[in-house]
Amino acid sequence: MRTLLHPRYALLRQLATLGIVIAFWEYAGTLGWLNPLYMPRPSAIGIALRDLFLDGRIWPHMQATFTAALGGLLLGVLAGIVLGIVAALVCLLSELIEPIMLVLNAIPRVILAPLFIIWFGIGLGSKIALSFVLVAVVIFFNVFGAVKNVDRRLVERIVTLGGGRWSLLRQVYLPSITASVLQNLKVAIGFAFTGAVVGEFVGASRGLGYLISFAQSTYNAALMIALVLLILVVVLVIFALANQAEKRLMQWR
Amino acid sequence: MRVSNVSLSYGGEPVLEGASLKVGSGQFVSLVGPSGSGKSSLLRVAMGLQKPFAGSVDLELPKSDIGILFQDDALLPWRTARQNVSLGLRFRGMAKQQALQKADEWLAKLGLEGFEDRYPRHLSGGQRKRVALAQVLALEPKLLLMDEPFASLDAIVRTKVIQDVVQLVEREKIAVLLVTHDLEEAISLSDVVYLLSQGPRARISNEYKISIPRPRDLVRARLHPSYAPLLEKLWNDLSDEVQGNGNGHVAKGPIYMAAE
Ligand SMILES: Nc1ncnc2c1ncn2[C@@H]1O[C@H](COP(=O)(O)OP(=O)(O)OP(=O)(O)O)[C@@H](O)[C@H]1O
Ligand SMILES: [Mg+2]
Repeated sequence: MRTLLHPRYALLRQLATLGIVIAFWEYAGTLGWLNPLYMPRPSAIGIALRDLFLDGRIWPHMQATFTAALGGLLLGVLAGIVLGIVAALVCLLSELIEPIMLVLNAIPRVILAPLFIIWFGIGLGSKIALSFVLVAVVIFFNVFGAVKNVDRRLVERIVTLGGGRWSLLRQVYLPSITASVLQNLKVAIGFAFTGAVVGEFVGASRGLGYLISFAQSTYNAALMIALVLLILVVVLVIFALANQAEKRLMQWR
Repeated sequence: MRVSNVSLSYGGEPVLEGASLKVGSGQFVSLVGPSGSGKSSLLRVAMGLQKPFAGSVDLELPKSDIGILFQDDALLPWRTARQNVSLGLRFRGMAKQQALQKADEWLAKLGLEGFEDRYPRHLSGGQRKRVALAQVLALEPKLLLMDEPFASLDAIVRTKVIQDVVQLVEREKIAVLLVTHDLEEAISLSDVVYLLSQGPRARISNEYKISIPRPRDLVRARLHPSYAPLLEKLWNDLSDEVQGNGNGHVAKGPIYMAAE
């Protein structure tokens, strides 16, 4: 018994607990304790999930959400990095950029979704725009901070060793920026998917968010929970990839 | 190198006033003084990292012949030991392969064979210091400016690193200006020791010539007959400075001893 309490078996314990909860849930459902309209049984959710893949209708929706999320992520990270560097190095531009970013940071940015749908239509554009805004602001503040708080000693070191501006950028600034972006990549990925799904939720003809809103309008709780699980798995897989990238690029830590 | 009549203030607060010193070629010179008197500031002026308010610095040799080592070794954490050492060489336009090879040679000279591919995080304090030294020495400087470079090391490692530096410096005939808190270190290493007076408006209040023969051995230097009297005199003069009755200006406010 003692050995099972070892930290090594944490995952095992977590899985066991999950199993018990699911079994209990299923059992409670069979006994009629839970209204299947609100709280469908795990088996019903499993069937809904299986059906999504069986008839293959899930793929175009996944593709739509992925394209929007990854597009927004990529553009958002790029814009965040460029704006962060520019704002940190050029005072005049920081006067312009920083207040905008502060405002965007202060509001819950998903409220922009309806506006983007008016601007860019219900297609891909508005989803990417929402993902982009969510991601870019986070990355901007990280990069801005990384450049502003760059280790002065490293800068002096490069200068005294005879390095010029380009060397400073390559040897000091870019690695600092890379580190801060990688550290916040997971938050950014989460935001990218939030943007895509919420965008689809508000107005779209495709995508996981659209399917969820469809499930809602038909009171199909099993489908809805199945979709939530699907998004969860997708994001976890991407997190794992991001972790790999972080490990590889941050060996020096 | 010659530093003449340098005055410096930070935002109206005077620090240095008319400080002068000189480092002859191949000479080992130390700068000691009370804490906060402006030793680091003087060195920063000499390095050209700080503009003096008056006075001048005549390096008498090209900037590229000067190596600089600070107290907190700032190695790039995302570069390996070898890459860190090769940086300066690369900045001078040396080809990458050649620079890395040269870096390995210098790491070996400083006893770091086998550590070339480590990141600074995975090195000890003493090893990091050696990498920083290799980084500077790889550029084959004629003058080495150091600000308490060994302060963060424990006594044994410190003695070893210093011993290695002294040997290298003597062999390669590198001139040194060393800022230190440690009077014993100053005397046993140097040809000349300058004492900076208690600030504000600190200046050089005394100069001590040391004629212990070279090559020096850190331990044996301390057994030389002239060592003990010199140490005593330097100690007394420094104490006088700190108590405000030295050659320098009278200090105001709280006073702290700089010596360990
Ligand atoms: N960047 C700065 N801005 C304002 N004041 C400074 C700055 N750097 C140093 N000073 C002040 O200048 C004086 C001299 O500082 P400095 O670091 O040169 O002393 P130091 O002799 O090296 O001291 P220590 O022995 O403690 O290293 C101190 O009173 C310090 O507070
Ligand atoms: Mg100092």
